[in-house]
Amino acid sequence: MRKSILSFAVAAFAATPVLAEELVLYTSQPNTDAQQTVDAFMAENPDIKVTWVRDGTTKIMAKLQAEIAANDIRPDVLLIADMVTLEGLKQQEQLQPYKAQAADSYDAALYDSEGYYYSTKLITTGIVYNTGVKDQPKSWKDLVAADKKGMIAMPSPLYSGAALIHLATLTGDANLGWDYYKALAANEARAQGGNGGTFKAVAAGEKPYGVVVDYLAIRSKAKGSPVEFVFPEEGVSYVTEPVAILKSAKNVDAAHKFVDFLLSGKGQDLVLSQGYIPAINGSKVPEGFPERSAIKLMAFDPAAALKNAEENKKRFADMFGVK
Amino acid sequence: MAKLTYRDVSKSFDDTPVLNSISLDIADGELIALLGPSGCGKTTLLRLTAGFEQPSSGQIFKNDALLSGNHRHVAPEKRNMGIVFQSYALWPNMSVAENIAYPLKIRNLSISAIEERLTEALETVSLLDHADAEPSTLSGGQRQRVALARCLVMEPDAVLLDEPLANLDAHLRDVMQRTFVDFHKASGATMIYVTHDQSEAMAMADRIAVMFDGEIAQVDKPQTLYRSPASEQVARFIGQGSILTGNVDGIIDNDHRKVILHGHEVVARHGANNTALAEAQKVSLCVRPENVHLGHAEGLAARVKSSVYLGERFRVRLEMRDGTELESYSSQSVMDGELLNFTLSDAWIIEKSR
Amino acid sequence: MSLGTIVNGVKPGRSSGRPGLFLAILTPVIVVLCLFPIARLIFQGVWQEGAFSAVHLTKVLAEQETWRATWHSLFISAAGTIVSVLIGGVFAFLVALTDIRHKAALVFCFMLPMMIPPQITALSWLQMFGPTSAFLKMIGLAPPLGSRQPLYSQWGIALLLGIQHASLIFLTLRAALRQVPREQVEAARLAGAHGLRVWRDVILPITSPALIAGVALTFVTAIGNFGISAMLGIPANIQMLPTLIYSKLSSFGPSILSEVAVLAILIGIIAAVGVITHHHLVKGRDYRLHGIVGKPLDISLGRYRLLVEIFVWLVLFFILIVPLIALVSASMVPAYGMTLSFETATLDAFREVMFRQAATARAFVNSFGLSIGAALALFLLTVPLAYGMMKRRNGLAQILNIIIEIPYALPGIVLAIACILTFQRIPLAGISLYGTLGIIFIAYLARFFVVSLRPVVSSFQQMDPNLEEAAQACGASAARRLIDILLPAVAPSAAAGGLLVFLTAFNELTVSALLWSSGNETLGVIIFNLDDSGESVLASAVAVLVVVVIIALMGLIEFMGNRLPKGVIPWRS
Repeated sequence: MRKSILSFAVAAFAATPVLAEELVLYTSQPNTDAQQTVDAFMAENPDIKVTWVRDGTTKIMAKLQAEIAANDIRPDVLLIADMVTLEGLKQQEQLQPYKAQAADSYDAALYDSEGYYYSTKLITTGIVYNTGVKDQPKSWKDLVAADKKGMIAMPSPLYSGAALIHLATLTGDANLGWDYYKALAANEARAQGGNGGTFKAVAAGEKPYGVVVDYLAIRSKAKGSPVEFVFPEEGVSYVTEPVAILKSAKNVDAAHKFVDFLLSGKGQDLVLSQGYIPAINGSKVPEGFPERSAIKLMAFDPAAALKNAEENKKRFADMFGVK
Repeated sequence: MAKLTYRDVSKSFDDTPVLNSISLDIADGELIALLGPSGCGKTTLLRLTAGFEQPSSGQIFKNDALLSGNHRHVAPEKRNMGIVFQSYALWPNMSVAENIAYPLKIRNLSISAIEERLTEALETVSLLDHADAEPSTLSGGQRQRVALARCLVMEPDAVLLDEPLANLDAHLRDVMQRTFVDFHKASGATMIYVTHDQSEAMAMADRIAVMFDGEIAQVDKPQTLYRSPASEQVARFIGQGSILTGNVDGIIDNDHRKVILHGHEVVARHGANNTALAEAQKVSLCVRPENVHLGHAEGLAARVKSSVYLGERFRVRLEMRDGTELESYSSQSVMDGELLNFTLSDAWIIEKSR
Repeated sequence: MSLGTIVNGVKPGRSSGRPGLFLAILTPVIVVLCLFPIARLIFQGVWQEGAFSAVHLTKVLAEQETWRATWHSLFISAAGTIVSVLIGGVFAFLVALTDIRHKAALVFCFMLPMMIPPQITALSWLQMFGPTSAFLKMIGLAPPLGSRQPLYSQWGIALLLGIQHASLIFLTLRAALRQVPREQVEAARLAGAHGLRVWRDVILPITSPALIAGVALTFVTAIGNFGISAMLGIPANIQMLPTLIYSKLSSFGPSILSEVAVLAILIGIIAAVGVITHHHLVKGRDYRLHGIVGKPLDISLGRYRLLVEIFVWLVLFFILIVPLIALVSASMVPAYGMTLSFETATLDAFREVMFRQAATARAFVNSFGLSIGAALALFLLTVPLAYGMMKRRNGLAQILNIIIEIPYALPGIVLAIACILTFQRIPLAGISLYGTLGIIFIAYLARFFVVSLRPVVSSFQQMDPNLEEAAQACGASAARRLIDILLPAVAPSAAAGGLLVFLTAFNELTVSALLWSSGNETLGVIIFNLDDSGESVLASAVAVLVVVVIIALMGLIEFMGNRLPKGVIPWRS
């Protein structure tokens, strides 16, 4: 017994030794996806060992900011939620640019022109509904119909970066704008924690309609959850899980290889196999998704979203009567 | 065995004075009682002796070795003093035997030596049958005896007793008093006994220190204390002394004076250092009830205020014309409001407060 | 004071020597564990580019939302504490002092709701009272789809907080109630008091130090609770301090740490005010019990016994059984939202987490080691510390009291940030704890110090000081007295504190969420990450395993129970 406690203590307090070719990745990908991504990359580059930390975007960023403040930044590369967050880090001068060869195969809206970050996939936000309801929504506007009053759940932009991007996209749309959010508020739409909670509320039938990211609904539906996902007519907002290299990266070479891998055909195929829409031009879509050409992406400017973030949050809070 | 010496010991808690310049010598092997009303500081003096508190000023010595004072303080565990608390303070996690043997265990005695002394102590307090009992199953008297035994086994230099009998009934109290006195005689240990019960103090102590308001009013043998109280306060506190006022009217001998009391002449004793009494000087007399004799044709006049039957006699409360009250005994019953005369066979001139 | 017999007229001991030494040795430990991280965080809030700056301070303090959230936190936490006191107090009273049957089973079951993640409890209740509730459908009372949910309100949050933290009150109070001597209640009864009067005039005053300690602990726990305030508060549009902090953290800007630091200062002030209030309430309550505690009370419930028992088990049904059923059924469906039936039921999730995902097993070992280690280390630290604090009620003890409260009052994520800032590099030693279990362990020590300390302190406050003095007169040194006399006397409370630490740390999430690293996962992290990645079935399966392991552990303790001192195991009388 004593020995096992001792060995536990030794294991607990001894820091892992640092290898020469080590790449540290911070990511907000789901666990299994992150593991697959890392495994596939290491199969391509057997001399590089990737250690990774996975957590929600908020927590990963809190961790990173604490590391920045303590002047001991651990990760070399980030593979996290959205371009706005990375735009923030770029402006904070924590990233370094890299001109990736593969950038030509991507829409210019999906990467930073100076090469500070590159999108890897498209995670769109659309409408999910519980199959227990008769009425099937087709557009964003359907959610503000009088008969949907009190029946809608959505992630709160106050607590979710992705929801804030969704808000920035929809309020920036000429046809929807802030009036649309005003109508949602009037329709007693409930803003809650994040995508997970929203999806659960819909799957459990607590709120029959919801606003969530595509893969969550489509995957669960495939497993048998009583839900259906809709890409609304006006188009969808999206986040892109961009990759970026930190200015302080210790292993820049390996970091370049990691970015190249994600943007390569192989990397994008992996994204597809994981059930996401790859960011690369002309790609296929996973099962259960409509044709790529049928998915309309709404216009979005990361820099503007970053600038207006505070303002947007305040406006939302006032509108939804956050007390 | 030890003698204890207190020099100008004062103690305050948060600027509230509790003891004020106490000086006292306790002889080796003496049993001294600290007697006084609650709040007089007697328990604090005991705790200073044990070392649980430190004096604010002054010194305490054991056999001329400094215990407390001059910024030095011998920890209680190094003083070799036994203590018995009113609450007994038996440790609930130990059996009777473990409680008693604890001081021996602390002193790292051999197991056989512990066994021997434990058995002896258990025998002394007649608890041999209860050695393995848990303290919570014992009666009050038994718990007290365990506490005493625990104190005995360590052969302390001094035994400190903090109202040890307060929680016991009258009968047990008598029995335990005898136990304490026997123990004192047998062991010859110096003992300090804190109590608010004067009969307890009178019955057991070699000397009694009477305390009021953080000061020692008088230290004397029980009889002296009774016959010659140093102050009105002591006179009233001990043995229902009555206080009468009169005027000095001539010297009888070295320690007796004539005193005129409401026109009647009374012979009164006075102390050796109370000789500077001037003619016609007003003095206070302490009068004990057994020295007030009723039923005389002449003497001082008084009215019966109340009387209580005690069994062998009556205790009578009298009121004199000027309103002064005094106590007396009577072999016959008297009526409330009855007018009587009385004489005094003994009176003590109380020294004017120093 | 009518309870003169139990009150020691003598002022607290001021003897010098070793007790002061304990305090002197342990003070630096507390300063390093609890004060350094907080100070470092505050520094982050008011230090900009090498100079003092009140920019963030004034910005955050000028915002209306800051004060709104503060008010909500105070109000809801207070209401939740009242709920905890009602539930925990009634249970503690019934179990400790009455002749209610099946006490062991009751206590056993009462400990478990703490182990069920609050979001599970919340969710199961939401479902139970929501439109899809099988239960409500069965009795024909199911509201239509999309109806307003009453739990999404201030009262809903307070209720859930109250239930979640009722065990805190229960454990602290029960240990104190056991020390109420039968004689004192009997004396009160002879004096003509009965029923509630006995409770009000005797039991309540005697146990008030423990009750006040429990209330303070519960209130502070509620202030720092993120899970429930996020689960119910966000949908209800009610912002509390932890959710406001989370909202700040999920902003994109680089100034998030500084603004969070300012909010942390605010929470620190609330905690400090709480400690000072606590101190003032306990001050002047010298309810030290004299002499031997006789047999504990055994109040007869008479003909109401069955009624009371039915009530108690009904409460347990709602706070334990229902969430547990929800948890188990959520772990046995193939996908979330499907109804559980004999056709759909599967153990795939268990197979997956137990045999395919190495992280789960690792997390069990990690969480187990961390929580046991923290409970034991804190036990060793807090008993001498509480002793020193009792002996020296001076300014230092007061300040230490406030310092240890703050890491517990802060939301876990804030403490984690503070720990990263402070312990990332240990000065001089040149080693880094960050990225190892070591930093989680240190953070746990800082966070749960107060949980471990409070019950021990209140137990010392209740103890007859003569017990120690008698040993002192026997020649026992401070260390000996601590081991031979004091430790057995405070063991039940210390064990209650240790158990609380273990249970809270075992599936703790918010602190380790930022501090874990690959290979150093905790159970809370595993559950959260699975859930967050949309694998809520797997998450439920791990949560079920946690409950199973806890029950097994409690069974093991029960099995070893005969060798432990009396009163140490809470569910044994």
